[in-house]
Amino acid sequence: MTAAPGVQLRRRPRARAVISLVPMIDVLILLLIFFMVTSTYLNLDFIPAIRADDPEAAAASETPAETLPADVAISARTLLVRLQADGTAVIAGQRLTPEALQSAVAARLQEQPDLPVMILPSGAANTQDLVTLMDRLAAAGAPSVRIVRVEATEVATP
Amino acid sequence: MKLRRRTRRMTPEPMLGLINVSFFLLVFFMLIGRMDASSPFALMPPAATSGTDMPAGGATLSIAADGRLALEGTEIEPAALALAVVPRLAENPALLIRINADRDAPLHLVLPLIAQLEGLGAQNVVLVVAEAQ
Repeated sequence: MTAAPGVQLRRRPRARAVISLVPMIDVLILLLIFFMVTSTYLNLDFIPAIRADDPEAAAASETPAETLPADVAISARTLLVRLQADGTAVIAGQRLTPEALQSAVAARLQEQPDLPVMILPSGAANTQDLVTLMDRLAAAGAPSVRIVRVEATEVATP
Repeated sequence: MKLRRRTRRMTPEPMLGLINVSFFLLVFFMLIGRMDASSPFALMPPAATSGTDMPAGGATLSIAADGRLALEGTEIEPAALALAVVPRLAENPALLIRINADRDAPLHLVLPLIAQLEGLGAQNVVLVVAEAQ
């Protein structure tokens, strides 16, 4: 069958295919829930261990642990706090509770506000114990806290 | 004669806003998840109240409670630490090194490592802590 001359047949334009967004949204929400559930949230902070702009730190770190006196003070102007393997703090041979430590250090700092504090930790104490002790010293107002490093061989005799 | 109000045609809800927000949240959680997975073993940093805000950049050295080490998410042997760190410190002597130690890691595993890093020339080393509740 042919069209009559002069008559133009026009093909009806096809309706544009619509891409459905629903599957994409489904996948998106699924991934979102997955990452929300598998993520853990920690508000991380830091405590400086070595600072480039701290000339005293280098000198302190060079002091070998074995040359230090076994007990109380490195010098008259330094407070030495020993950290035992079980996490308790010892000042001048006296075991202190965290509260007693804080008040003892605060009392010493009232006499001498710039008193440097040195921590001599046992190698068997864990990181949390050390951080807790540093927290207590900071709460007591200690302006300078340093750690005398232990040698790995000292662990056997905490 | 009854007049009937012409029924309004329902307009479709705009989906674009929802998709934008979903993508934003997805990227956010993917990034957060990546940060958490930066060590190949499970570890929980010590809790502290006296920490300050974490600086950006640098290298992360993770220490598990049993002494395993990971540098930037890849487990390494303690003997290989110097080989891995020295070239980076040569490139950037002020490189920040974050020690992400487990709270149960004994100090005889953690402190000698800090001393070793200092011996290798590290000038900025920080201990990662979690903000105490």
